[in-house]
Amino acid sequence: MICQTFYVALLHCEFLYAIAALNLAYPVTPWRFKLSCLPSNKTDDYSFLPTGISNTSNSSGENEAVVEARFNSSGADSANLSEAAFHCCFWSEQDKNCPAHGDGTEGEGFVPTVGSSVFQRPGVNWNIQCWVKVDLKLLICSGQPLLQSPFTNSDLRVHLFYVLSEVVEDSHLAPQEGSFEIVQCNCSFEGRWECRVPTPAAQLSSTLLMYLKITAAGVTFQSPPMSVQPVNVVKPDPPLDLHMEITEDGNLNISWHSPALVPFPLQYQVKYSENSTAALREVDEMVSATALLVDNVLPGSSYEAQVRVKRLDGPGVWSDWSAPRVFTTQDVIYFPPKVLTSAGSNVSFHCIYKNGNTIVSSKEIVWWVNLAEEIPPSQYDVVSDHVSKVTFLNLKATKPRDEFTYDAVYCCQEHQCHHRYAELYVVDVNINISCETDGHLTKMTCRWSANPMQSLVGSSWQLRYHRSTLYCSDSPSIYPVSAPKDCHLQRDGFYECIFQPIFLLSGYTMWIRINHPLGSLDSPPTCVLPDSVVKPLPPSSVKAEITANIGLLKISWEKPVFPENKLQFQIRYGLSGKEIQWKKHEVDDAKSKSASVPVQDLCAVYAVQMRCRRLDGMGYWSNWSSPAYTAVTDVKVPVRGPEFWRRINGDVTKRERNITLLWRPLMKNDSLCSVRRYVVKHWTSHNGTWSEDAGNQTQLTFLWMEQAHTVTVLAINSIGASLENFNLTFSWPMSEVNIVQSLGAYPLNSSCVILSWILSASDYSLMYFIIEWKNLDEDDEIKWLRIPSNVKKYYIHDYFIPIEKYQFSLYPVFSEGVGKPKVINGFTKVDEKHQNDAGLYVIVPIIISSSVLLLGTLLISHQRMKKLFWEDVPNPKNCSWAQGLNFQKPETFEHLFTKHTGSVTFGPLLLEPETISEDISVDTAWKTKEDVEPATLVSLLVTVPDPEKGSVCASDRCDSPPFSDRGSTEVSWEDESLGQPSVKYATLVSNSKSSEAGEEQGLPDFSIGKGCSSGNSPLKDSFSNSSWEIETEAVFILSDQQPDMISPHLSFSEGLDELLELEGNFPEENQSEKSVYYLGVTSVKKRESGVFLTEESGVLCSFPPHCLFADIRILQDSCSHLVEKNFNLGTSGTKAFVSYMPQFQTCSTQTHKIMENKMCDLTV
Amino acid sequence: MRCGPLCQFLWLWLCLSYIQAVPIQKVQDDAKTLVKTIISRINDISHMQSVSSKHKVSGFDFIPRNPDLSFLKMDKTLAVYQEIIINLSSRNTGQISNDLENLRNLIRMLASSKGCPLPYTRGPEALRNLDGALKESVYSTEVVALSRLQRFLKEMLRQLDLGTMC
Repeated sequence: MICQTFYVALLHCEFLYAIAALNLAYPVTPWRFKLSCLPSNKTDDYSFLPTGISNTSNSSGENEAVVEARFNSSGADSANLSEAAFHCCFWSEQDKNCPAHGDGTEGEGFVPTVGSSVFQRPGVNWNIQCWVKVDLKLLICSGQPLLQSPFTNSDLRVHLFYVLSEVVEDSHLAPQEGSFEIVQCNCSFEGRWECRVPTPAAQLSSTLLMYLKITAAGVTFQSPPMSVQPVNVVKPDPPLDLHMEITEDGNLNISWHSPALVPFPLQYQVKYSENSTAALREVDEMVSATALLVDNVLPGSSYEAQVRVKRLDGPGVWSDWSAPRVFTTQDVIYFPPKVLTSAGSNVSFHCIYKNGNTIVSSKEIVWWVNLAEEIPPSQYDVVSDHVSKVTFLNLKATKPRDEFTYDAVYCCQEHQCHHRYAELYVVDVNINISCETDGHLTKMTCRWSANPMQSLVGSSWQLRYHRSTLYCSDSPSIYPVSAPKDCHLQRDGFYECIFQPIFLLSGYTMWIRINHPLGSLDSPPTCVLPDSVVKPLPPSSVKAEITANIGLLKISWEKPVFPENKLQFQIRYGLSGKEIQWKKHEVDDAKSKSASVPVQDLCAVYAVQMRCRRLDGMGYWSNWSSPAYTAVTDVKVPVRGPEFWRRINGDVTKRERNITLLWRPLMKNDSLCSVRRYVVKHWTSHNGTWSEDAGNQTQLTFLWMEQAHTVTVLAINSIGASLENFNLTFSWPMSEVNIVQSLGAYPLNSSCVILSWILSASDYSLMYFIIEWKNLDEDDEIKWLRIPSNVKKYYIHDYFIPIEKYQFSLYPVFSEGVGKPKVINGFTKVDEKHQNDAGLYVIVPIIISSSVLLLGTLLISHQRMKKLFWEDVPNPKNCSWAQGLNFQKPETFEHLFTKHTGSVTFGPLLLEPETISEDISVDTAWKTKEDVEPATLVSLLVTVPDPEKGSVCASDRCDSPPFSDRGSTEVSWEDESLGQPSVKYATLVSNSKSSEAGEEQGLPDFSIGKGCSSGNSPLKDSFSNSSWEIETEAVFILSDQQPDMISPHLSFSEGLDELLELEGNFPEENQSEKSVYYLGVTSVKKRESGVFLTEESGVLCSFPPHCLFADIRILQDSCSHLVEKNFNLGTSGTKAFVSYMPQFQTCSTQTHKIMENKMCDLTV
Repeated sequence: MRCGPLCQFLWLWLCLSYIQAVPIQKVQDDAKTLVKTIISRINDISHMQSVSSKHKVSGFDFIPRNPDLSFLKMDKTLAVYQEIIINLSSRNTGQISNDLENLRNLIRMLASSKGCPLPYTRGPEALRNLDGALKESVYSTEVVALSRLQRFLKEMLRQLDLGTMC
């Protein structure tokens, strides 16, 4: 206000000065002023005013004019205005002293001022304001009546008279009435009027002298003169684009744009009001900037703001107020509301949260990201009571989630979050910029990928660079002064920027600037020195050749013109073809222009390429040069002459024979690399040496006449003749030398034949062999091979037809001449033994191992038998059959019987009664067949209570299978005669494979096995109950060594059946005394194998060889029964009984139950 | 007038800061390599390959003829050539001008390393005749300028090996 007052005062002073200069015209103020016209009774001296203007002025500068107003009586509204002169004056709120028309003496020139009360007097008042539009082209003065206008629009006419002060100054006099220009003002119905005075731009600083003449209702009011400088009353347009937003600091930023075309600094006046639930405040502030920050913004509040503008310095007119703008803050305020940052940076968000009508305490605020992850409280900060802050450290790039390319940051109260969120955009700006300088050192191409920024919608990016004078700094940084570089997107997704021309040794610091509405980001800068990223052109004039006589692959080249630095080279070479297997060779000598590398194949075409790079390792490898190829030329003389053989034509007996030498063309590896011709050299003792040129032919015929004729075939190329050559001597004597003992040809398949031979000793020096073969069935040419002399077997690979005949010849070639060949026709037949060699190698070991196993088994069995027999040897004294036997030294099992056989004759058996107690107990049955088999010979348990009285009774394991079949059926007998001597009878059966024999014999029903397997018969039950009740015994002896022996075959089952039938015939009382059945078994058939096979068990029972069974007698003593008919002799033709020797007598009167089904009394 | 010493001081400081970072031997090697590069560039211009050295063309006295062997003269001579060449129309002249700019900076750095910092030389005033020469005989101007530059650079290369004085 002080300034304003000062300005006003200053302005006033200036006006005073101007008025003084302009004869005290009223200075127009930038603010509104008033024109008041009051009735006056006196007409003043208007000496100063132009003609027609009545005015009084005083030295004090007060302005007033006496207007002669003559009212028509018809003016209804001005009826109160008497027809009198009106005194008009200007005044304003700042200066309310209007010079009243006093009663002063005429001629004094002074009009006394009056107080404000004068304005209450009847009269006419207007509000007047004059300003210049901002385009400075028009001065506008407008007026409107203070009270209701007494005049209608129809009778209101306003004219403005004006004159520029320059015109006035030029005249050096008061302006005459004719010097004024007049403009007619526009009048409105309400009594308003507006006058527009054109103001030339060049005369803005000139003073404009004006006065008004207002005519209404027939009365003319003339204002005092007023003066104005247009530049002092410029009225700008109101500010534009008023905008309000919450800043990152949480303030309300009211911003606007200044009006255009304002030639001087401006000041602004902002008025805003805050309407919140807490308070209502109105603020009016003057600022010189185009923005105003309002702090302490509250959530859920509305702000209304307006702004106007005026010239900052000097007088001016305030513009109109801008249109009001209303901004309402949300219930939750995030500041900043959106952040764009780069990966790895730190970012903080602030939040003010109004939940309902309450602003949440900052201590209660928690932060969440994407409503999925709660941010640890350690990252929170309490800024104030209501402002919470969260800080994200070392941010990672935002991973776009569908169309959401930002992270949503929520400010919550416990678990209640407002739906509004802040947006966090994190972009990975680690963009790699790679550059490459071309081989001409004129262009540097830089490439970079915009992939990391693709997800940032609405962003654009630009490469900016700064070029240093020389080199790069160690730590490149973003320079404030930089230049953009146009880059073009390539198909591979990379942007490519080209610098051309370049400063080779200037450092180009480059970075990518990402522009986004939220801000801009810069990638880390990279400094590139074009000289250090040179990719040279490949070496030129690359040539490759195989050096003559040396045999190396020589590559020559010319280095590229640029760069001038030392270069290293890399050569790659390989055999030319579709897929070249490259080998590399490095050349580090920068001055080298050629290099040689050894290659294996000197006669092949090699492809060679080269590339280079700076020797110091900077820059890149050049591209590979275009391939250069070697040409195949003769490198050296042929390594050797061709292998050759001969074909002898003509009669063998004749001394003169035509010999055709045959040789194969030399291959490239031997000829190095071509053969121009072949030369045959001859040596004979008679004719000496001569040569024959065979040209390109591969055969040559000559006449062999001499005793010995030696030939050599030379290969000749462009360089010379082969140095190492084969000799062949044709010698008559040597042709009779035969050192090949045998020759065999064994076909492996249709494409390979093995040729093997055996040589005899020889005094001649064998050089090599020649193998010849040909198809005798066809007229094929002879094929031949040279074989080293140390080979004994050779695989000939050819196409052989097995059904055709081939002739194979093996020629030993001595240094003295060709020896006598060994010739065979056709393939050698291989014996079956040989053919089955492979099988033999497998089978023989199996047979041997089986034999060893069998032998071992026999030995074990033998030992067991010996143990069985000799440990349980019967007392010879008590056992008649054992007399005469030496049990202490048994030779074999057979010996026992053989010996006995010899000593005992058949005859009527007069057996002395012996008390024999037969208790045969089978405690356990063999459950399975396998359990039985391991023992070749198994005896049933024989209990010999009194060895002195006991007799040998070998159990027959033939019994086992039936027991086995019966499962765990226990056959027991009631030993009612304990302490009684008893003899147990058992059957001794050899277990061997005889099933086949048994079947062959066709004795299915008469096997002991079957008899043993009576478990399937009805006997089973009774047998299980009491074996004795069966009262059947089957005793048999078979011999497998007597060819004439009649093998007994007993079908025990059938026998048992018969026995069961017979059983019923026996009286009950007889059961107490059981008979021992001496069973003889007639021979039914001869058995070659001499074994007896139980049908079911498969146990083979062998028979003592000495058992000559001619007859079987069944003896019955007093306590026995003859159950002769119980034995079914099967199909045997002759029913015979062979007596057991010695015979066994029945047991004592004591009744013994013999449980054993079979008992074999083995005796002679 | 006041800016002169300040600019010289800043230039010296800039050079010294680079000297600390870049070995002077590398600077010298780079200078020689750059000289060779410029010579090769001139050779690479097609019409320069067939120019005979026997002819003497008059009217181009403003183009330096005799190279001076001091760093200062080198810099001034290079500045003259740079000013001439930048006005030539051949394809590589722009690149050669850039190379001369780099070479001048290297020479300044070498001079600074030997204790004789060079003031920055702006475009010489002796090229008043250049515009006229270019208008009248562009080809001759180019051939003579490039030929003389090439000879100058070869001599300069030799002097750099021997050790140039301030």
